[in-house]
Amino acid sequence: MSQARKPDRRSPGKAYMNALRQDHASLSRVLRLIDALADRLSRSPESVKPVLLDALRYLFQYHHAFHHPREDRLFARIRARRPALEETLGRIDHEHVSGEQEIAALVGDLENANTRQLAGKPGARLAARIGEYVQHARIHMRDEEVVFYARAEAALNEADWTAIVDDDGPQDPLLDPDSIANQYPALAEHLGLAAGYLSETADQEATVADFHRQLIALTDVYGSLLHDGLDLTRANVKRLLAVRGPFGLLRTVGDISTDNLRFAGHCVSRPSRWAINTGCTLVLAWARPYLPRQASDNSFDRS
Amino acid sequence: MVSWQTRTAKLLGRLTIRQALRRQLDIAEMRKRIKAMERFFPNLPPDVQVMTEPGLSHCDAEWLKPTAGHSDRVILHLPGGAFMTRFKRAERFLLARLCRATHARGRLVFYRLAPEEPWPAGLDDCIEAYQQLLSQGVEPKNIMLSGMSAGGCLALALLLKARDQDLPMPAGAMLMSPATDLTDDYDQGSRAANASRDAVLSLEHGDEIRRLYLAGRDELASHPYVSPVVGDFSGLPPLFFQVSSTEILLDDSQRCAERARDAGVSAEVEVWERLPHGWQALSFAPESGRAIGRLADFVRECCP
Repeated sequence: MSQARKPDRRSPGKAYMNALRQDHASLSRVLRLIDALADRLSRSPESVKPVLLDALRYLFQYHHAFHHPREDRLFARIRARRPALEETLGRIDHEHVSGEQEIAALVGDLENANTRQLAGKPGARLAARIGEYVQHARIHMRDEEVVFYARAEAALNEADWTAIVDDDGPQDPLLDPDSIANQYPALAEHLGLAAGYLSETADQEATVADFHRQLIALTDVYGSLLHDGLDLTRANVKRLLAVRGPFGLLRTVGDISTDNLRFAGHCVSRPSRWAINTGCTLVLAWARPYLPRQASDNSFDRS
Repeated sequence: MVSWQTRTAKLLGRLTIRQALRRQLDIAEMRKRIKAMERFFPNLPPDVQVMTEPGLSHCDAEWLKPTAGHSDRVILHLPGGAFMTRFKRAERFLLARLCRATHARGRLVFYRLAPEEPWPAGLDDCIEAYQQLLSQGVEPKNIMLSGMSAGGCLALALLLKARDQDLPMPAGAMLMSPATDLTDDYDQGSRAANASRDAVLSLEHGDEIRRLYLAGRDELASHPYVSPVVGDFSGLPPLFFQVSSTEILLDDSQRCAERARDAGVSAEVEVWERLPHGWQALSFAPESGRAIGRLADFVRECCP
């Protein structure tokens, strides 16, 4: 699994670009994890906080400290060769700086927040900020790949690459299981998990409130009725359009009435006792908070 | 928390697609209705262009290219639709968004559909599309396979068949709620537990769909190219599943991932909370954008 960053001396440009792309691959892996964890931060802060903290620290300590400076060296060389890209390069430089400041702030805020705060509105706000950071990081990566990574190899010469590669830094800890386990144990453990539940757990998901279950069943029943009604209407219109003469009209109206009554008798005018009871229960459950308190107290006394 | 847009889509899905699947199975009528529903899906984003040439021997296929330029990555996408129909516009838009997010080209394969062209016609088209990419000089390490629902099943079958034919493997596969088990164990696990909770799919005509797909040869259902969940996953590239907790197809993803991991293949399942089948294609829903963001992350991981 461990892949040392050793540039190929025969094509230093290719090796360097491969290394940068590999950094983006690792970054994407961690961004995907952060995005999923941020969702769960306010619901289960105890289990999420350590992993999220490790993941954000990894971004701060590797990507902002080493990967971006590597890119900056590359971009500086491209800037010298392609002055037309000055404006875009300026924007990317600015994003590197602002991204680093934002991640430092996120790490600080997450470290300082206690479980109670994370479970409340501050936790939700922090999760939203983390989500925004992830979005920006993805767009930033895509822009870099579109504008610079694609052009770098064509724009730079051998001397440029030699200068950049000679000054290369450390290896991405995510590529070495031992390194990631030592430096970011919670992150390493989480990356080894097989299933990523974006909800709490599968079991909790399975216990849906009875209210929802009944609502779903009712929607199915009335959805089916709606389709029956539409089919019948379509058939009736077709019959009426095919009518020729007054006797035909009388006969068609008679047929339609018989069919509609059968339809109504089956579904609408005499719906099943279950559908009526469930409907009433749902209406009462929905209205209970709005009912006068005394009424419900009295009924309790009577029982 | 599920967004209001997705809640609305769930309700509409329950009242339309699910009802259609629960009522008498009329393929022609279903295709007509889907075509009518497709009018509500957006057209292509302006920064992605479509090319219909070159096609494939027996079916249409499209190239999607971001106009801002693209990397060497290619996403080969197989649309869903119970092997018998498809949401052409929705799938095209989904692939366009994936291409935009990953700076990749997209190859959309409109494989042949049952019952007119039963199995293995559709799978053959998918294999041909993959071989065509290889013959065009696209390196396997730059190819990502993706499939939605029935397309996910075909994507896994493609991987199994390509491995059996000694073709090089693509870099990875993204499987969105794949239907991977066409054997008749319909009354177990998530298929039973989520039978009423699934907002889109219903298995009331599951047997009939399978019969039409296999042209009545039900014994083929336990073939790995039909039900990939029974296959041997060794030698496959990394797999990434996205599925919702309320789908009848939840177990299909989880069982496949388990089998893959047992065979030493990297497989990850993301279980999203209470979303409808195929939510990735609901371009108006925030959950769709987030799912595509994560799929794009996976593409970068596999195709640096």
